[in-house]
Amino acid sequence: MSTLTKAGIVDYIYERTESNRAEIKDLVETILDIMKSSVKKDHALLISGFGKFEAYDKRARKGRNPQTSQTITLPPRKVVVFRLSRKFRSELNPS
Amino acid sequence: MNKSELIKALSEQKKMHVDDATKVVGAFVDSIKEALLRGDRVEIRGFGSFKIKDYEGYTGRNPKTGSVVQVRSKKLPFFRPGKELKEYINN
Repeated sequence: MSTLTKAGIVDYIYERTESNRAEIKDLVETILDIMKSSVKKDHALLISGFGKFEAYDKRARKGRNPQTSQTITLPPRKVVVFRLSRKFRSELNPS
Repeated sequence: MNKSELIKALSEQKKMHVDDATKVVGAFVDSIKEALLRGDRVEIRGFGSFKIKDYEGYTGRNPKTGSVVQVRSKKLPFFRPGKELKEYINN
């Protein structure tokens, strides 16, 4: 199994558009920055045909350090989840 | 924000034509989808990683009617946010 990385994404776009690699790399970074700020600001980013990134709040909860058994309070935080679209789900699971 | 707003934001920030931004964002999403459809992993530094999990089929029951149903095996992508994204979201 191979892994697609940013370099692979840049190559893929390079083969399908008329820009050079440096420009595309810059565009990919910009896309990712916009995506991040959208998840942070709107708490949701919807990419039709692919899925939705959602940020939601987790409340503070009691946790435990398993090494020392000490009880600690984990602070409230935001987590990001990905929900896939129905279209992409059926593409992954053709009937 | 949705995909067309993402395209608009990209075209404004980079002062490029909306048609070109549409192509770039489309190819960006397609590259990730195609990799996952092949069963490959996707790792985007600073953002996160995706991988496909295979879930086996099983014989289940409809809890309302009690009837036996066959649940088919399925593939679902799993997203893990990267360290940078987690920190960015939380501060």
